[in-house]
Amino acid sequence: MNTFKTERFRDKQLGFAMYLIAEAIMFATLFATYFIYTPTAINPIPEEVFEARTVIISSVFLLTSSATIHYGEKAVEKGNHKGIWIGLVTTFLLSVGFIGMEAHEFHIYYKEGFTLTENLFLSSFYILVGLHASHVLFGMGWMLVLAYQKNRIPFMNYAQKQNIFSYYWHFVDVVWIFIITLVYGPYLFY
Amino acid sequence: MTFYLFDRSFYIASDVLLAYITVILSGAALFYLITKANKWPTIKKYVTTTHHRKIGVLYLLSATLFFIRAGIEALIIRIQLAVPENDWWVFQGDKFNEAFTTHGTIMIFFVAMPLLIGLMNVAVPLQIGARDMAFPYMNAVSFWLFLAGAILVNMSFFMTASPNAGWTAYAPLSVSTYTPEAGNDYYVFGLQVSGIGTILAAINMIVTIVRHRAPGMKLTRMPLFPWSTLITSFLILIAFPVLTIALYILMFDRMFGTQFFTGEAGSPIYWQHLFWIFGHPEVYIIILPAFGIFSDVISTFSKKRVFGYTSMVIALAIIGLLGFMVWVHHMFTVGLGPLVNTFFAITTMLIAVPTGIKIFNWLFTMRKGLIRFTTPMLFSLGFIPTFVVGGVTGVMLSVAAADMQYHDSYFVVAHFHYTMIGGTVLGAFAGIYYWFPKMFGIKLKDTLGKWHFWLFVIGFHITFFPMHLAGLNGMPRRVYTYLPKDDVFIYNFVSTIGAFLMGLGTLAFIWNIYQSFKKPDYTGNDPWDGRTLEWSVPSPAPEHPFQPMPLVKTIDPLWEAKRNRGGKLPEAESARSAPIDVTSWQPIGLAGMMMVFSLAFIYHQTWLQIIAGIGVLSFFVIRNLTDEHVRVTREEENE
Repeated sequence: MNTFKTERFRDKQLGFAMYLIAEAIMFATLFATYFIYTPTAINPIPEEVFEARTVIISSVFLLTSSATIHYGEKAVEKGNHKGIWIGLVTTFLLSVGFIGMEAHEFHIYYKEGFTLTENLFLSSFYILVGLHASHVLFGMGWMLVLAYQKNRIPFMNYAQKQNIFSYYWHFVDVVWIFIITLVYGPYLFY
Repeated sequence: MTFYLFDRSFYIASDVLLAYITVILSGAALFYLITKANKWPTIKKYVTTTHHRKIGVLYLLSATLFFIRAGIEALIIRIQLAVPENDWWVFQGDKFNEAFTTHGTIMIFFVAMPLLIGLMNVAVPLQIGARDMAFPYMNAVSFWLFLAGAILVNMSFFMTASPNAGWTAYAPLSVSTYTPEAGNDYYVFGLQVSGIGTILAAINMIVTIVRHRAPGMKLTRMPLFPWSTLITSFLILIAFPVLTIALYILMFDRMFGTQFFTGEAGSPIYWQHLFWIFGHPEVYIIILPAFGIFSDVISTFSKKRVFGYTSMVIALAIIGLLGFMVWVHHMFTVGLGPLVNTFFAITTMLIAVPTGIKIFNWLFTMRKGLIRFTTPMLFSLGFIPTFVVGGVTGVMLSVAAADMQYHDSYFVVAHFHYTMIGGTVLGAFAGIYYWFPKMFGIKLKDTLGKWHFWLFVIGFHITFFPMHLAGLNGMPRRVYTYLPKDDVFIYNFVSTIGAFLMGLGTLAFIWNIYQSFKKPDYTGNDPWDGRTLEWSVPSPAPEHPFQPMPLVKTIDPLWEAKRNRGGKLPEAESARSAPIDVTSWQPIGLAGMMMVFSLAFIYHQTWLQIIAGIGVLSFFVIRNLTDEHVRVTREEENE
């Protein structure tokens, strides 16, 4: 069932793809910043700061949520309303788990004195991973709006809105994969 | 000037005081005139519109306003530099730094950009047979975000905190250790907010051009202005996010205590890289659309198809591509090594090839053409030699070894004004005269237009040609005075005279607009005997053009129709669904909220940051709940 893909909606898909390109360049610039300033001459070094356990748990949360939102997308295509709710709610819960882990991680770092201004490695770490976390938060708000609208707007419009959201969510996930492999990975799994 | 209020003394520099008086008086006069002429409903229509022509007009109007402001700053700079060891009014030292910083920032971001985006809004949808921009609502959001950013940068002067680190905001000067005042915070937030608007505008342009062309309007049949718009939009899409992040990092350095661009471990050079990775594509972003305008204007007024259409498109694409590989030529003196400098010197020189192709194609378009010397054509003709001078000095500057001498001298100032004014501003003027009938249904007066052209162009060369010589004589840029023995007095004096001629030219332009509305010269659909689709719809362009939708079979479809079909375009059997136009206060509301949000950061008011931040986010929700697509679906279901 692809009836929701009207011409106007295809405009939106292309427009949103363009927007994600702009976002990708923003993140790429932040990754470059991280590479330039990490590791720095001033302590702490990344090996002292990062902890594998929280990274792995939060990654499991976020990467699974990509699968659940995909399930939600399939449900939209089949017109399976129960499946849509399952997809949306599980994705939201997983994102809560992710954000909880991330908050926990930052909290521990701060307690140990690894703050934003401690050195340039930490600065570039926080402005990159923090921007990603704020994207996740924004996506959570977006999901709440979607849930509110689910039964209040025509199904076609809902399908379109959820489709665009799932692009966003997958993008946020892909950025996270880059964060694990390029930000944490070199100092955790070597 | 110091005055007392509630037992506290306040100091306001006399220039700021004068600016306040001027703005308040002219604001009151404007308010009175609008009320008297009963024009508030019209203003409301423009404020809430999402129609591409009206938004284009709004862009052009605000660009003109900022052009006057930054132009006055240019005159101030020129007066201060007119004679050696001048001590005019307050414009020495830091005040001078503020004047050239805001002059540059406003001229690039809030004059050149909106002039071109405004013309794109007016002309591009009509040229390709689109019924509106792909996302009308987002188009309004783009404009109001741009304006919010522009007002932020402009208001800094009234808050006696102008940015003062140059339009390039080089670190470490732009970092809070050295400029703790609010000035450069205004720069950061003003550019950030308007930059978001620009990125959204580029997305809109891309989708419009890719998906809303009339049936049969293949990309290979598209006029060159939409082509240049498409390529420019991709440049914006890639370059502006880098600026976004550069400003984001600078914000952390200025407000949250990080030290990316300063301190022991930080690197000021990294700011330069980020700024120019954005900044060099940016100068192509503001020149390529002008190239597109000239191509269309020259073709129309030579009554010939543009010469070498394919090579014109390829040249645009190559310039766009090379534009990303030349940023280090702004940094030759940093000392990145001979290998790096050589690489970037060569890529820079390479750009002269596609640009040269374009210059020759314009000349060949005119060759054996039936040339009409209308005002837009005059601006195009003035552009070619002027821009060639700018191009030649550009190649001179690209020689890294020689650049060690030219760098940061008035030679560079002369060079980029030859390209930016000679290219962008002349192009924008040509476009405004050319498409004015499509905006308002009237033509601008030709005689006054010629006064405008000759005063402006002659004034331009008198202003900027001597700067080459001043630069070669060793005058550095961004200095507020010089000594008699420096041997640059005569060049500066001549420059100042020329600057006032340019000012007169601009006055002629404004007078022309006034006169043209006072004694309107109504024109039909096609005042210039045009070649492209925009001249087949009524003037001013209607809200829902192209009924019926034309079927495009060649380049210059209207011209082909005039020659072979008695002027009637063939009709397409069906057209795709048009974008949904709405009227909404939301875009201006969002922009206003963004401004409050920025001010809360500039003045470190945490509570206001939270409130305004929630306010900004709530606009996403409001937008979602009032989505016009939902309404349209319901209407269609009920039918």
